[in-house]
Amino acid sequence: MNDIMLNSDLLFKGLRITILLGIFSGITSMILGSILGIARHSRILPLKVISAFFIEITRSIPLVLYIVFIYLTCSPILASINIFHDDIFGSLEFQSSYIALSLFTSAYIAEIVRSGLKSVETNQIQAAKALGLNVFQRLKYIILPCAISRMMPALVSQFISLVKDTSLASVIGLIEFTRSGELIYERTYQETQILALIAVVYFIICYGMSLFSQRLEKRPFALIRLGF
Amino acid sequence: MYDIDFSVILQAQELILQGLIITLRVSILSSIFAFILGVFVTYLRDLPNNFIKIIANIYVEAARNVPLLIQLYIIYKVYPRFGLSFSPINCGIIALSLYTGAYIAEVLRSGMNSIAKQQSQASYALGFNYFQTFFMITFPQAIRIVIPALGSQFINLLKNSSLVSFIAVVDVFYVIYKGAADDFRIYEFFLAGALIYMVLAGFIALATNILEKALKVYGREVRV
Repeated sequence: MNDIMLNSDLLFKGLRITILLGIFSGITSMILGSILGIARHSRILPLKVISAFFIEITRSIPLVLYIVFIYLTCSPILASINIFHDDIFGSLEFQSSYIALSLFTSAYIAEIVRSGLKSVETNQIQAAKALGLNVFQRLKYIILPCAISRMMPALVSQFISLVKDTSLASVIGLIEFTRSGELIYERTYQETQILALIAVVYFIICYGMSLFSQRLEKRPFALIRLGF
Repeated sequence: MYDIDFSVILQAQELILQGLIITLRVSILSSIFAFILGVFVTYLRDLPNNFIKIIANIYVEAARNVPLLIQLYIIYKVYPRFGLSFSPINCGIIALSLYTGAYIAEVLRSGMNSIAKQQSQASYALGFNYFQTFFMITFPQAIRIVIPALGSQFINLLKNSSLVSFIAVVDVFYVIYKGAADDFRIYEFFLAGALIYMVLAGFIALATNILEKALKVYGREVRV
């Protein structure tokens, strides 16, 4: 227990990196995933083919392979760009795992978005057309409110997976929560306490998110009423 | 300029094949165990005993909300402290089975929820006990509905099996990573690795489709 107290700085720093990585790649993958999902749902053939190609390939290879590949291929480019001088955002490991996690999760989110859009009944869209709403009005007032409330549980569970998947960034040496714990027990040989602590922290984060999603399932329009 | 040269793959052919065998062994064994575990947990959660239900729920939530990597490390590094040591490959199989078993239990539960309550009530009225009702009446109907979701869980298991390389099991990912890092032939090795996983995942998807069509019952095309 004493060792955990002594090394709590390292653990907190790792936890911060995990949370930042989760939040940033969550936001990016949400944007990218919506674009890809809408592209695959659209009637424009080239867009459809390209997005389907990306989604299917990404979904069938392991995330570790993805992270390592992005790290080995993109780090020379990232090093030459080098915009951030921060010690978290500036590290190549953080940047490449951010890119890999965003791309990987966006493929899954695209499928969720596509199935959400598909679940809106055609009668509703036809009725909206008959009322004279244009494409954007249809999306804003008819399709999205309906689709978002249906997509919400799946999206939240995808974000839970994303938080869990950030632990894989330790393969390229990013010192996030898992790796920081590993560094401590390699020094102190207290695997039991440290791994239990890490598991409990991950459990609290992920289970909290899943409780939130269960609440949303009971009140699906809460987000829309807030003006989302 | 980087010139692509696939002869490195041919040279590493043997190693890749050995890794493939390990990956297949881990994924096939753990999918069998995970499926059995998932069915067992679904049965426990279907019993009218609250205590058993709570225990099963705790297992499912714990396994679903902790990263697989941490579970793997716990089995590999903490269990030996309590006198339970396994070889790395068995650790991988245990961790993958426990992790995927919880997901399969959850998928099967969503299938069970779509079966009308009247069916089990009718079978109790006819004198079937819980075990018979579950395995003869409700479960066979539930599993047909969730075959696509089960297939995607098995694909996830295959992809997650690459994590066993973190505890020094020489599977396909390990061979690919080593090859790419040692010879600096990144594109060749990763293309080969991606292809291997895509082909294996494609086989599972194909099998799922065939099974879904073979077991389809007309009039019950419920989407979960």
